[in-house]
Amino acid sequence: MRKNSGELKILVIEDNPGDFMLIQDYLSEEHHALEIQRAENFKVAKEILQNHSNFNTVLLDLSLPDINNTELLVKNILSISNGAPVVVLTGYTDKDYGAKTLSWGVSDYLLKDEINASNLSKSIHYSMERKKVQRQLYESEEKYRTLFDSSPLPMWVLDRHTLEFLSVNQAATKLYGYSREEFMKMTVRDLWAEEDDRIEKVVQDNFHELFTVKVKHFTKNRETLYIDVQSNPILFGGREARVTLAHNITEKLKAEEKLKHSQQRFKALVQDGSDLISIIDENFNYSYISPSVENVLGVNPEGMEGKNVFQYMHKEDRERIKDKIKYLGKKKSYQLPSYRYKDGAGGWRWLETIISDLRHDSSINGLVANSRDITKFKIQERQLRESLERYDIVAKATSDLITDYNIEKDVFQYSNAIHEIFGYSQNELGFSKKWWQEQIHPDDRLRVVEAANSIYERGQKLLNIEYRFQCLDGSYKYVLDRSYVITDDSGNPSRIIGSIQDITERRNYINAIERSNSRLREIAWTQSHVVRAPLARIMGLIDLLKNQRNNLDNIEEIIDNILNSSEELDKVIRKITIKTEEEF
Amino acid sequence: MLEVLIVDDDQIVVFIQKKMMNNHEIAQNPISFGKAADALDYIIQEQKLSQQKDFLILLDINMPNMNGWDFLKCLESHEQKSKYHVIMVTSSIDRKDKEKAKNFSTVRSFIEKPISASDCDKIKEISEISHFFEPV
Repeated sequence: MRKNSGELKILVIEDNPGDFMLIQDYLSEEHHALEIQRAENFKVAKEILQNHSNFNTVLLDLSLPDINNTELLVKNILSISNGAPVVVLTGYTDKDYGAKTLSWGVSDYLLKDEINASNLSKSIHYSMERKKVQRQLYESEEKYRTLFDSSPLPMWVLDRHTLEFLSVNQAATKLYGYSREEFMKMTVRDLWAEEDDRIEKVVQDNFHELFTVKVKHFTKNRETLYIDVQSNPILFGGREARVTLAHNITEKLKAEEKLKHSQQRFKALVQDGSDLISIIDENFNYSYISPSVENVLGVNPEGMEGKNVFQYMHKEDRERIKDKIKYLGKKKSYQLPSYRYKDGAGGWRWLETIISDLRHDSSINGLVANSRDITKFKIQERQLRESLERYDIVAKATSDLITDYNIEKDVFQYSNAIHEIFGYSQNELGFSKKWWQEQIHPDDRLRVVEAANSIYERGQKLLNIEYRFQCLDGSYKYVLDRSYVITDDSGNPSRIIGSIQDITERRNYINAIERSNSRLREIAWTQSHVVRAPLARIMGLIDLLKNQRNNLDNIEEIIDNILNSSEELDKVIRKITIKTEEEF
Repeated sequence: MLEVLIVDDDQIVVFIQKKMMNNHEIAQNPISFGKAADALDYIIQEQKLSQQKDFLILLDINMPNMNGWDFLKCLESHEQKSKYHVIMVTSSIDRKDKEKAKNFSTVRSFIEKPISASDCDKIKEISEISHFFEPV
């Protein structure tokens, strides 16, 4: 059949020279281009086959002198035949035996007695054809196997009933971290991280169908994977199986999750934030207002859409804001001055708004207003202003000097009274604590410095102290210094506010009174002694006259002494009268 | 023995006090001094002669040169000060004077001028000198 169609190279393993001759003849009958090589025994055959790999067919006689075990012989030859078909020639007539050699892998089995040129040739050609088809089949299988194994997508084959792994590809071992051997001892259930029942049901419901399912898997290291599974039923080596494509979508899901978070964050900012975000069209009607308006102003956002912005604005503020908005378009974004805006309860709130011109942004197509409720701040601002005004008025109205001493910076601030009381003009003033203390009278300084230290060292809040303070002209004025300490957030003294009252007049007056008091006391004491001296004499003498008259030698002298003492007393009393009329 | 000294610059006062001392049998013939310094000299002199003598001194506070307080200070430095018994005699008793007198161990009592009969009785009852007046 292959006559004239290419050279045929055949190895004949045959110890019997007669048989070999016969085979050679048969072959030559049918083929022209024929190269026949002979091996007389197993050993030679092995050598030939190991050195040459280009035989088209091997004809093998089973009874060789150097080997008894037929099975060993056949299998050995098959293993080194390099894919060439092996046709067994034998004298045995046992058909079962022939079938057995076929099961070992030989291509055909011929009885020597039945061989002729035609069936030998036919057998050789059939064998070669069959081998060729086998190889093609093998190569195609090989191709698919390679496709499966080297696919970048993880894949595996499962037993459709037990879900045992029958085969896994490299990408799957890489993704999950299990070796191929480990996989082979597992079922796909071992990969499932959760929702086993749901997956089980999908598998059952689609037993003979293709299905796709999203599942969560664990790797060997217990890392979570999100897998998009696509599974097809196949027959695998005769078993009902399914081939599964595992598409790892973990990264994709993570990215999606991130996006979702970012969207939620944005939503939270816009909806639940304390800022109001609104989109206003060219006619200043609301086309969108953030739901936070409900929290901030107590207004239902839906009711506001389509309404005019100025409708909610305080009449007195409208023109001012309209004036500002006129310049829109020149700047991309700017801040509006604060204005009053009606809230859901009909009250007024102060808002501060930044307007951005996004009319050219097709997704916005309007002005974006970002507003903030600054009512509290406004109220505080007003209270602060009032308080400052009050302070100014007090500082002006009082004749006291008001001082404000910043401890950290060591700087005094004075009200105008510093000039009015002490004569210092701005240029002649010092502003440090050192300067202030230098102006205190030397006799008072230590006492005042010590008292002031109680503020720093003992946390005293109030200081109430009198001392003398030097004027520009060098004279001293008495002052009553009432100081109050202001502390910072951590309780340390930060400022000292002082009210310095000029008490010079009062002090002088008190000093004068004290002086005159002491003079009066002195006079009174002296006078009482001076008055009593003559009086005591008179009393003593009269006592003698009355009780000791008999023991007295010179009564006349005693009476004279009484008279003298009386005159002395009279003089003393007149002197007192004159003295008390004197001015101090 | 108890010797009575009157220290006062006012001669009328001295006269009255001498009479009272005499009449109330505190002393037959008290010695008087117009100047405190003289009285001090006398005491020192007497002390040298007789260590046994006690002195009852009627002392005025307001005197020129050495006043009653100066006199007391001098007495305070004497060894024999336990034998000096001073009665402060003044025209008007000041609370401050009484306080001041507490610093001197020799001061026994205060008398406001003029000295009276009951003052004399009280002098005799002063515990440090009462034994001199007990009836024999």
